[in-house]
Amino acid sequence: MGACLQTVPVSFRAEDRYDQSLGRLFLPGSMIDRGVEGDRLAGIEKGLFSAEVAGNEKLSPACRLIRFARPEGFPDAKPGHFVSVRVNSFSVPLLRRPYSIMDLTETELLLLVKVVGPGSRLLAEAAVGDRMDIAGVLGGTVFPSPAGEDAVFVGGGTGLAPMIFAARTWKREGNTGNSYLIHGAATSEELLGTFCESDFTKVFRSTMDGSEGYDGDAVSYLQSLLNDDTISGSKLYSCGPAGMVKALELKVSTRFDSHYTSLEAVMACGVGACRGCTVPLREEDGRKLRAVCSDGTVFDASQIAWEDWE
Amino acid sequence: MSASGSIKVTIGDVSFDNPVFLASGPAGYGEEYADFVDLQRLGGIVTKTVTYEPKAGNPGTRLQETRGGLLNSVGLENVGAGVFFGEKLPGLLDNGIRPIVSLAAEDWDGYRRLLDAAAGAGEIDIVELNLSCPNVDRGGMAVGTDPRMISRYVGHAKDILSGTAVIAKLTPNVQDIGRLALAAEEAGADAITAINTIVGMDIDIHAKRPVFKRIRAGLSGPAIFPVALEAVWRIVNTVDIPVIGVGGIDSVDDALKFFMAGAAAVQVGTAIFYDSRLPEKIITELEKNGIPASINRGGA
Ligand SMILES: Cc1cc2nc3c(=O)[nH]c(=O)nc-3n(C[C@H](O)[C@H](O)[C@H](O)COP(=O)(O)OP(=O)(O)OC[C@H]3O[C@@H](n4cnc5c(N)ncnc54)[C@H](O)[C@@H]3O)c2cc1C
Ligand SMILES: Cc1cc2nc3c(=O)[nH]c(=O)nc-3n(C[C@H](O)[C@H](O)[C@H](O)COP(=O)(O)O)c2cc1C
Ligand code: FES
Repeated sequence: MGACLQTVPVSFRAEDRYDQSLGRLFLPGSMIDRGVEGDRLAGIEKGLFSAEVAGNEKLSPACRLIRFARPEGFPDAKPGHFVSVRVNSFSVPLLRRPYSIMDLTETELLLLVKVVGPGSRLLAEAAVGDRMDIAGVLGGTVFPSPAGEDAVFVGGGTGLAPMIFAARTWKREGNTGNSYLIHGAATSEELLGTFCESDFTKVFRSTMDGSEGYDGDAVSYLQSLLNDDTISGSKLYSCGPAGMVKALELKVSTRFDSHYTSLEAVMACGVGACRGCTVPLREEDGRKLRAVCSDGTVFDASQIAWEDWE
Repeated sequence: MSASGSIKVTIGDVSFDNPVFLASGPAGYGEEYADFVDLQRLGGIVTKTVTYEPKAGNPGTRLQETRGGLLNSVGLENVGAGVFFGEKLPGLLDNGIRPIVSLAAEDWDGYRRLLDAAAGAGEIDIVELNLSCPNVDRGGMAVGTDPRMISRYVGHAKDILSGTAVIAKLTPNVQDIGRLALAAEEAGADAITAINTIVGMDIDIHAKRPVFKRIRAGLSGPAIFPVALEAVWRIVNTVDIPVIGVGGIDSVDDALKFFMAGAAAVQVGTAIFYDSRLPEKIITELEKNGIPASINRGGA
């Protein structure tokens, strides 16, 4: 553990104690906790960073693509890694909100944000120039590369984000295999995927209500695509609602050499400390509760004790 | 408030550079937070409560945010005495971090074995007895709501861990937390920590069932600050040993209020999740302006 316990140099301004009493207004640029400046933490694998919003695009009625300028010293990330965002500097909502990295370039950090409650709303409403406090890079495991083989990605809802990061990362690394994305959503309003068409060999889209694309869930769609030989692959990657990932594992995974999935769970610390985000795994020496944040987020889907995972 | 030089605090015979600690639980064994918090700068860190045997903790949902608070049902998941004393504790000490070792028992037998293990570990000069966890069936709050049990557990710790300071951490889920504090003091406790989480629950309206498998969970965070402050005020008026204030600290000002209520030290729990540098900000303030004097002259 010695290596991880390096001293983090921190200095504080006298006015820091007034953070909580700054008028309690939601002011762009003042949302950031002023005690946090990422550049002080350069060179460590995770840290707290003040990140400036550089873009906010509407992708669908509920979904936004938020671009942050990559803070100085922000660590590199791999597919499956995530960040945790403090959406304002007061305590409602209380906890940081975890988001998969949709892309990380030399200059930008991209998140795909669906509005489901107060935290995601504040993040989705961020204006260019706003600053937010981001903890990252978080996560203990990442998606293993397909190493040249054909890969199938299944992204349900915003589970699309880590699929895009994986496809982009591996393309940049010169991976030559085909990549197929099946993206499912409840309705056409929630369907994304057109903006990332160039990241995959081919993108297939489905809606539960049949309002756009294939009429049905992403798992049935994948089954039919495999059955009529439209696509094939040896590596399966997924992220999405637990029900979708479970169905993938139980119904389709035997057609692939491996199935890795990035799980979501409600999180508090994001670093393995609080033990709040556990998932039951079947391991050689019996069942174990593992932390999604630090033992995942990426797991071999065949290890998850699905009967106890919602 | 005067800008005095030292902000050292002494509990039992044990001296700390400053009176700002991490509370047991949210920050785990400390190491997990090393990239976010300057752990060496803290007065100390109360390690995640350890039981003699490793504990897997509770199944199902473990966290639920509330308005200004957090419900948790972690259920004392921990690595057990062997790994804790063999790996986690030496790691902290090697890195110049000041641990306060939190101990809990599921039953009397487990408690005795845990204390023997702690006594054998040698390097421990201070422990906090978690007599107050609401998220387990045995031990925890079941012990900590009964003054007789408190005195039995505290007394045994003082016997076995001679020369070690013993802090009793109390639950607010009782009619009069002052009575519990008095029982701990009379049994020889060197200090009191108050409070542990407050019992609460939530319901999933779509699934039409309680959010937590155990139904009840422990509430922490800013929502409980006034309750914790009152508990500290009351305990300070009841006992002569130092009181450590914990519960809902969300700002430097909240910490100052605990000192004004008569606390000798404070612990930060839930806030570490969203404002990891808060303990360091509190220390900076105390270094600059000193520890505020108690305004508590009774009236409990
Ligand atoms: C590792 C990880 C990666 C994620 N990546 C993305 C992403 O790329 N894009 C995206 O839009 N969302 C993502 N999420 C989910 C996102 O964190 C939640 O939508 C967000 O925290 C909700 O906050 P809120 O205040 O808006 O809603 P709340 O009012 O807190 O909750 C609204 C609903 O969201 C659910 N929820 C709350 N927190 C979480 C959580 N941590 N995980 C899953 N569901 C939650 C609640 O159960 C509730 O049903 C991810 C979650 C995790 C754990
Ligand atoms: C996730 C979580 C885990 C906790 N685990 C422990 C524990 O193991 N032992 C303990 O004595 N208290 C535990 N607590 C209680 C805290 O130490 C503290 O008493 C309580 O949360 C109130 O302080 P806060 O509002 O600053 O968090 C835990 C609290 C949380 C939120
Ligand atoms: S969120 Fe704390 S252990 Fe995963």
